[in-house]
Amino acid sequence: MVPQEIVTLLQVFLFPGFLFLFCLAFFSDWMDRKLVAKFQNRYGPLYTGPKGILQPVADFFKLLAKEDIIPIAADKTVFSVVPMLVLALSMTPLFLIPMIDYSALIWFEGDLIVIMFITTLVIVAMFMGAWASTNRFSTIGGMRVGLQMLGYEIPMTIAMIGPAISSKSLSVSGIVQSQAVGIWYVITQPLGFAVALICLLAHLQRVPFDVPEAESEIVAGWLVEFSGKKLALLKLSKNFELVLAGSLLVSLFLGGPLGFWLPHPSVYFFLKLIVCIFILSNLRALFARFRIDQVLEGAWKYLTPLALLQIILVVI
Amino acid sequence: MATRIPFGPQHPALKEPINFMCEVSDEKVLSVRPRLGYIHRGVEKLAENRTYNQNLYLIERICGICAFAHVTCFSQAVEEILNIEIPSRAKYIRTILAEMERIQNHFLWLGDVGHEMGFNTLFMYSWRDRELVLQLIENISGKRVNYAMNTIGGVRRDITSMIMPSLKEGLNHLEERAKYYTEMCTKDPTVLRRTVGVGMLSPSDALELCAVGPTIRASGIPRDVRADDPYAAYEEIPFKVITYDGRDVASRLMVRLDEVLESISIIRYALDNLPNGDVRVRVPRRVPKGEAVSLVEAPRGEDLHYVRADGTEKPVRVKVRAPTLANIPTLCKMLIGENIADIPVVIAGIDPCIACAERLVFVDTATRKRWMWNKQELRKYATKWYRKK
Amino acid sequence: MKFTKGRLLEKAKEISTPRARRMSMTINKTDFRKSMKKLVDSEGFKHLSTITGIDVGPKIELIYHLTRENLVLSLKVKTSKKNPVLPSIVNLIPGAVLYEREVHDLLGVTFKGNLDLSPLLLPDGWPSDVYPMRKEWAPQDIRKAMEKP
Repeated sequence: MVPQEIVTLLQVFLFPGFLFLFCLAFFSDWMDRKLVAKFQNRYGPLYTGPKGILQPVADFFKLLAKEDIIPIAADKTVFSVVPMLVLALSMTPLFLIPMIDYSALIWFEGDLIVIMFITTLVIVAMFMGAWASTNRFSTIGGMRVGLQMLGYEIPMTIAMIGPAISSKSLSVSGIVQSQAVGIWYVITQPLGFAVALICLLAHLQRVPFDVPEAESEIVAGWLVEFSGKKLALLKLSKNFELVLAGSLLVSLFLGGPLGFWLPHPSVYFFLKLIVCIFILSNLRALFARFRIDQVLEGAWKYLTPLALLQIILVVI
Repeated sequence: MATRIPFGPQHPALKEPINFMCEVSDEKVLSVRPRLGYIHRGVEKLAENRTYNQNLYLIERICGICAFAHVTCFSQAVEEILNIEIPSRAKYIRTILAEMERIQNHFLWLGDVGHEMGFNTLFMYSWRDRELVLQLIENISGKRVNYAMNTIGGVRRDITSMIMPSLKEGLNHLEERAKYYTEMCTKDPTVLRRTVGVGMLSPSDALELCAVGPTIRASGIPRDVRADDPYAAYEEIPFKVITYDGRDVASRLMVRLDEVLESISIIRYALDNLPNGDVRVRVPRRVPKGEAVSLVEAPRGEDLHYVRADGTEKPVRVKVRAPTLANIPTLCKMLIGENIADIPVVIAGIDPCIACAERLVFVDTATRKRWMWNKQELRKYATKWYRKK
Repeated sequence: MKFTKGRLLEKAKEISTPRARRMSMTINKTDFRKSMKKLVDSEGFKHLSTITGIDVGPKIELIYHLTRENLVLSLKVKTSKKNPVLPSIVNLIPGAVLYEREVHDLLGVTFKGNLDLSPLLLPDGWPSDVYPMRKEWAPQDIRKAMEKP
C-alpha cells in the first residue's frame, strides 16, 4: 500500500493538481482560440501539434524566452511581484473545485466565499500592476479594471449565492453534493446562471467586456508594459481564469462531476467544462466591445436586479 | 486634471502613422491637435521631375486603396490640358473600376471600424468578402491593387465578353453580402450602442470645415463630385446620391453600405450599356502649356488634382489634395467631448488614409528596395513565362 | 450656371473659362481679402478644396480652389518670394487652416491671422530656410540640407 502522504503529494502535483491544471489551462486556451477562429471564418492554430493543440504551450515557452523589460519609471518590486501574484491567485481557487470526485482536493465550509474573495484580489493585483507600470495607457486600463469590477462583482456574488442558499452549504463541494440528490440548479435558477455567465465574461475581460485592455483604444490597457516572462505568466493566469470561470459554472449550476454511465466523474466534468467554454467563446465572437460607462450602466440597471430577483425566487 | 494622451503615431488603432495629441480629462476629450508628416514621400516634388507617363505610376502609388481614383484624376487633368476626348468605352471602363474600388474600400472600412469597436468577427467576414471584389478587379486588370489600368488617353485593358458572366455573378454575391451587412448593422445592439450618437458633426460645421465624401453626406448634405461635376461616364448613368441625417458614425456606416449597393447597380448598368469601340487614343509625349483642375469622387470623398504644364515632357506642378486631409479638421471637431473609448471609432469613421493625405516633400533618393532579380533577370523571367503560356 | 464675368468680381483679371463648370481668374494681392469675403459671403463659395502654391520665378503664386454647386473657381493671387505674406482666410473658411499650414511649410508663405503656423508636415528640427516646394531646391539639395546637422 502506498502511504497516504505520497498519494496526497501526487494528487497535489500531478492529478488533479498542478500538472493537470496546467494541461487544462492550455487546452482550454487552445479550444477557445480554435472555436473563435471557426466562428470568424478562420483556421486558428494549425501547425504545432495535431490541429495546433500545442500552440498555447509553444506560445508560453516563446514568451518565457523573450526579453523582459522593466520600465525605468516603474515601481520595480510591485511590477515584478504582480505577475506571480496574479498567477497564484488565479490558480488557488481551482484546488477548491471538485473535479474528479464529489468533493474537492481541499474543502471546508465557506470555501465559496474564499473563491469570491480571491477573484476580487486578482482584480486588485491587476490594478496594482497597472499602477506600478506608470504608463498612461496602463493607468487608464487599471482604472477601467477597477471600474468594471464595481459593475459586475455584486451581481456575480448574488448570482453565486443562489445555489448556496438552495443547498444550504457555503462550500462548492457541498453544492455539488446537494445537486447529486436534487436537480441541477441551472434548471431551477436559469436567471442566476445567465447573470453569472455574463459577469464571468466581464471578469475574464473578454469581448464585449474587454474594456480594460481594449486593444484599439488603449493599446493593451493594464497589460501594456508587461513583457517576456511576466507577460507569459499573466497570459497563463488568464487561461486559469478561463478554466476557473468554466468550472465555477459547472460546479454551481451544472452539477459538477455528476453522471450515470461514464467510467469516471472527471470525464463528465471535462465535457461540461467544454460546453461552458464553448458558450463563453461563442459570446466573445458575437459582440462588439461596450464602453466602460455602458458596462457599468448595464450591470447596475439589469444584472443586479435580475440577480436579486433570482435570490427572491429561490428564497420563496 | 487634464492629461495629454498621444494618439499615434504608433497606435494599434491606426494602421498608418499620424499623431493626434488629445487633452483628456475624466475619459473625455477636451482638445485635439493633429500632427502629420510621418510618412511623407515627396510625391509632388518627385512628380515635377518625372515625365507624364512615369507620373502615372507614381501617382498610382500615392495610396494602395484609392489608387484608381488618384490616377483617374491625374489623367483627366492631363487630358484636359491636351484637349482630347477619350473614347466612351474607356469612360465606362473607368467608371466600372472606380465603383469596384469604392466597393472594396467600403468593405475594407467596414472591417476596420468593426475592429475598432472590438467586433473582430465583422472584420474577418467583411475582409473575406472584399477578397471577392479584389478577384473581380484582378480578372479585369490583372492586379488586385494598383491596377495600372489608366493611361493618359483611356484605359490599357478592355473588359472582354469572356469575363462578363463572372463579373455579373460576383456582383450578385456582393449584393447579397452588402444587404446582409446592412441588416446586421441596423439591428445588432452592440454595434448600435457604439455608433449611434458618437462623433456628431452638424451640417453647418461640416460645411464650414469643408468636409468631403461620406463624412459630409452622413450629415445630410448631398455633396458628391459624381453628381456635381460629372466625369467619366457618370453623366449618362443614373444613380442616387446617398445621404443620411444622423450626423454620427452610425450614419457614416449606413451611407457607405448603401453606396456599395448603389455602386453595384452602377456597375451593372455600365456593363449592360458598355459602348463599342477603342479603349484608348494615342497622345503626344509633350503636353502643351496650360493648366487644369480635375475632381474625382474617391471612395473617401472629393479628390483634387491640379496640373500645370509648360510644353515639355514634365509637369511644372502637380498638386494632389486627397480627401483625408480635407476631413482632418472635421475629425478634430468631432473628437471634442467624446469618450476616450470612442476615439478610434470616430477616427475610423472618416476612413482616414494617411498615406493619401501626406505625399509631399521628403525625398528619399536612397532606394532600400530589395529585389530578388535585377532588371535583366526579371525581363528574362518574364519572356520565359510568356513563352510557356 | 450663367453669370456675367463682371458680376462675380469687379477687379479680377485674366478671367477664363476653360470648360464647363471651370473658371479661373487672377486678383491683386491688395484686393485679395475683400474679394475673398465677397466670394464667400455673397457668391456662395463656401467650400475650399485646397490651396495650391506654385513657385513661378520671382513670385509665389497661390491658387485657391473654391467650389459652389456647379462651378470650380481657381482664384489666383501672387506674392513676392522675398517677403511672402498674405492675409489668412481662416475666419472666412475655417476649413482652410490645414491648407494654409501646408503652404506655409512647403513654400514659406506667412498667413497673417492664422494663429497656428507650426510645422504640420515637416519634421521637427527642419532647417528654417528650406522650403522644399520652391524650385531652387532640387531633390538632392533637400536631402543634403536634411543631413547637415
